[in-house]
Amino acid sequence: MEETSEQPAHLLRQFAWTHRGSYSLSILSILVSEAITVQFPHLLGDFTDALQAGRLTGRLVVMYSLWLLLVGVAYVLLYGLGQWWNGRMGRVFEYELRWRLFNHWQTLSTAYFRHRSIGDLLNHAMNDVRTVREAMSGGLNMFANAVFLLAATLVMTFRTVSVRLTLVSIVPLLFLPLLVIYWGPRIRNASRRVQEGLSDMADLTEESLSAIRLIKATANEGVEGDRFGQRVQEIVSRQMSVFRLQASFQSLIPLTGSVSFAIALLYGGYLTVTHQILLGSFVAFTFYLVMIITPLQQMGFVFNSFQRGSASMARLTVLFGEYADITDPPQPVSVSHLSGSLEIDLPEFAYPDADVPALKDIHFTVAAGQTVGIVGRTGAGKTTLVNLLPRIFDPPARAVWMDGHDVRDLRLQVLREAIAYVPQDGFLFSTTIGENIGFGKELAHPEEVAEAARQAAFWQEIEDFPEGMGTVVGERGVSLSGGQRQRAAMARAFVKDAPILLLDDSLSAVDMNTEKNILANIRRLRQGKTTLIIAHRLSAVRHADFILVLDEGRLVERGTHEELLHHNGIYATLYHLQESEKEELA
Amino acid sequence: MSSLLRLLPYARPYLRQFILVLGLVVVYNATSVLQPYLVKVAIDRDIVVTHPSFHGLLQISLLYIAVVVLGTAANYFQILTLQYAGQSIIRHIRLDLFHHITAQSMDFFDRNAIGRLVTNVSSDTETVSQFFTNFFLSLIRDGLAVVMIVFAMFQLDAAIAAKAMVLLPLLFGISLLFRKRLRQAYQATRTHLANVIAFLAENLAGVRITQIFHQEMRQARKFEQLNKLHRQANIHEYQTSVLFNRTFEMLGNMAVAAVVWIGGNAVLHHAIEFGTLYAFISYIRNFFQPINSMTQQWNTLQSSMVSADRIGRVLSVEPGVQDAPNPVHIAPTKLRGQVVFEHVSFGYQPNQPVLQDICLVAKPGSFIGLVGPTGAGKSSIMSLLTRFYDPDVGRILLDGVDLRMLAQADLHHLVGIVQQEVYLFSGTVADNIRLFRDDISDQQVRAAAAAVGAHRVIEKLPQQYQTWLYGKGGNLSMGERQLLSFARIVALDQKVLILDEATANLDSQTEALVTKGLQAVAKNRTTLVIAHRLATIRHADKIYFLQQGRIVEQGTHEQLLSLAGLYAELYAKSGIEHPDESTVFGEIGKTR
Repeated sequence: MEETSEQPAHLLRQFAWTHRGSYSLSILSILVSEAITVQFPHLLGDFTDALQAGRLTGRLVVMYSLWLLLVGVAYVLLYGLGQWWNGRMGRVFEYELRWRLFNHWQTLSTAYFRHRSIGDLLNHAMNDVRTVREAMSGGLNMFANAVFLLAATLVMTFRTVSVRLTLVSIVPLLFLPLLVIYWGPRIRNASRRVQEGLSDMADLTEESLSAIRLIKATANEGVEGDRFGQRVQEIVSRQMSVFRLQASFQSLIPLTGSVSFAIALLYGGYLTVTHQILLGSFVAFTFYLVMIITPLQQMGFVFNSFQRGSASMARLTVLFGEYADITDPPQPVSVSHLSGSLEIDLPEFAYPDADVPALKDIHFTVAAGQTVGIVGRTGAGKTTLVNLLPRIFDPPARAVWMDGHDVRDLRLQVLREAIAYVPQDGFLFSTTIGENIGFGKELAHPEEVAEAARQAAFWQEIEDFPEGMGTVVGERGVSLSGGQRQRAAMARAFVKDAPILLLDDSLSAVDMNTEKNILANIRRLRQGKTTLIIAHRLSAVRHADFILVLDEGRLVERGTHEELLHHNGIYATLYHLQESEKEELA
Repeated sequence: MSSLLRLLPYARPYLRQFILVLGLVVVYNATSVLQPYLVKVAIDRDIVVTHPSFHGLLQISLLYIAVVVLGTAANYFQILTLQYAGQSIIRHIRLDLFHHITAQSMDFFDRNAIGRLVTNVSSDTETVSQFFTNFFLSLIRDGLAVVMIVFAMFQLDAAIAAKAMVLLPLLFGISLLFRKRLRQAYQATRTHLANVIAFLAENLAGVRITQIFHQEMRQARKFEQLNKLHRQANIHEYQTSVLFNRTFEMLGNMAVAAVVWIGGNAVLHHAIEFGTLYAFISYIRNFFQPINSMTQQWNTLQSSMVSADRIGRVLSVEPGVQDAPNPVHIAPTKLRGQVVFEHVSFGYQPNQPVLQDICLVAKPGSFIGLVGPTGAGKSSIMSLLTRFYDPDVGRILLDGVDLRMLAQADLHHLVGIVQQEVYLFSGTVADNIRLFRDDISDQQVRAAAAAVGAHRVIEKLPQQYQTWLYGKGGNLSMGERQLLSFARIVALDQKVLILDEATANLDSQTEALVTKGLQAVAKNRTTLVIAHRLATIRHADKIYFLQQGRIVEQGTHEQLLSLAGLYAELYAKSGIEHPDESTVFGEIGKTR
């Protein structure tokens, strides 16, 4: 794995280097534009001096106007071009970074995602990436603008106006970047607290309205109203603290500029009156001052933006630093096809973050083509056990064998191609039903998909959907019931038609009759292929070649249905419980 | 617009603040407009004269500072006053809206999705608040700024000022034109961004499926498509905004060149003084910002109108069920608990009767079962008894008093329900039992929990009664939640109870707990149970069998079996249809 080349800082350097030509041009363009724009006050000053000296003629007035026009147009074009190009490149980088992040995540294992909230990860992908982009496009533009414009202005005022006047007047303005640096993060934090308050209120509203029957039936409207009122009041007070900060900020910024201006007026006026500088220089200087107020503010913004950008960069670096812990072995066994025989020889398995092992002393073999039932109470370790086969969680070395190879020695692609899996929750993507069912096979024939749906007893219902197989499921389409999702997931596994099929309690939400049909189809389809069925309803495993009973992570019973009944253990108890319920009501 | 006007009364209490803001804005604007004028005076009076006056210059500079400080103070207080008024208005609207919504009867919630209502309360109000703050402020501050600059220019020189007026329509035109395109570009970016987020969220949740089916490449390609569309929209949006800002700036620069040309000639011919030209150049530059910000508010106005409309629509709905003018009062301690339905008919929609001619009697303290196929109207009977709806025909009596004669708040202290779905609030376990009421003490909460057998379960939680329940009780099992809802009913101590039997599969240990809890709840109360499992009501004092909105059979379990009718048939079938359902409620009757 080339871990270092995936680091965002490295990507950024690489990006900047690849586009060094473009960046040089755009920054040059901004540099030239600033050199041009500082001519603007200078022209006005010259104009004034000509006027004062009585040299001004109608022709000269036109000349000056045309020069001003030229300066104005050239500046806007050059600066706009540089700004646009930098912004554009930033957005291209944003896109590339996000794409890398997505691909990176796809290589990480379930163990990684288990303890991370999707909301947090999304935050990184959206906000951190955007913040980096803002720093490298908007931040870069402001930085270039501020630095070049300040430099050009200082050069001009030193050369054409007065060094002393410049130095004295500029003092208050130097506080501008500091003001921004001080207030910027404070305002941002306070605003975030308002947002939190708002979502608190929205949460409470949703909670109350969802439980409106309960609230009405208990005459609790008043109490809820008070609770709501507290949230609203909290928002008001948080909001006001934001406004207090903003008001100070928005008042102080222009104040600083104006104080500078007043100094320039007084001292510059004095210099003019005492003939140390010309009126034109004085006029030009007042315009220079107005001109550099914005870039000085921008220095503060740039500082904040770079700071946020580097914080985001650090978070992204951590993300990219998470290496995929389940990967291809360095020297994979060269097998391309697996027949589906299994051997589990597992002394112990614990989740990476747990102290107590989830599985202990599990030993059994499955010949290719056998059907195995796995039963046990919730939390007995059934799902954990089957998750070890496709290496969703990594088993210890020499514990899980497939066709005589340790699964850890097989290439992931070979291993996973040999396994079809139906998860408990029937996870589907928000795309069409057809695409979901054909998910495991890129170019699945529509007839294959339809046949799989039929075998999963889902065809009839799909036909009734507005657009059949083309119906979109999920938030933007029809919402499927738990049973429908499970059957779609079942069909998806059928299309894959792998040597090993894993059913993780995947028929729990399907009614008895349908379950019976699907199980019959599985027996027919899976003739000669290995099938592992986890089930709560014992009827689902009754016909298995043998049944494993797990309890608290241990394999406590094994045998056929009849043997286990005869054995009179946990399985028998479970069975009699389920049967007696039937009888009692019947 | 009319909908915004309807919200205007909310602003009336803050009329004084608004007038104050207006005054402060006038001061602030006047000080801004005065600044270039002071420089002009300094130039023309003190600098460009034969006998320059440093003393005058000092005066002007001090005046300049004074003006600036005054303007800054006015601006500061203007922001705070206006925002305070705006926030208070929104607070008021929110409270009214929430009370109004919770005061609605159930038919309202049948028609309106909760998500929609939450949006009304949270974001629509937020948008409307911008009308009272941003829009109002911009209208007076920026509008006034433009007016005052125009006024100042005409004061300085009418001829040049008149020519400068060409800019006004030009600026507004360009600004409005771009606004629309900017908004569209912005929305396009948002839409594509939302797609990227949705895709990411889903694929992070399903990454296991992608990996097992080895479809990383396919998902990467799909992501690539969405990501690319977002990039395009994003770049387009940026281009549009750069183009807009630079166009505006270009126009500003051209305007200055034009002023120098026109004004320069005027100075040359001694029509104006040089200081006037200086002021003109400053004013022209100051012209652009307020116009730009005013046109931005156009969008605010439009979205506020839409939001105000939505809020207005909610506020104009009257509750379907209302209290009688002089309600009868029954003290909870005096209630015997007799429930009678007299020839009740009811439908959610006219001409679609759900219940027809229902006659039912529950004696004080009795246990009544309601049975029937899905859609027979069992739950509707419950909704009528809690007066979520009023019957179309007939009447319902509680201790002989028509429900319509009772105040709803009183009724709900007397009649309680336990629903299939247990609602939990973000809060502690104790809060959830007492429903945040401060008139129910900790002792009462504990006693209630103990009565239904929830105490032992709660004691095992990390912080016992103070354990915080997250997102709809996600950290509790179904059985535990059910127990909390029983404890709640005991704490609230309502004398007539309706139980919509829970069908969740509980493990055997909790099952026993829940059964015990139910026995405690039913004690000393008139209890009506909607039964999904017949075992539950086998020992009821009386069972009503409903079909298509009518009571078709009634009697005890044995009587109904001997009738050999629908109940007997259902009973025979139920054993086969629900083989693995257990008898959670089966013991209630026996122990009574």
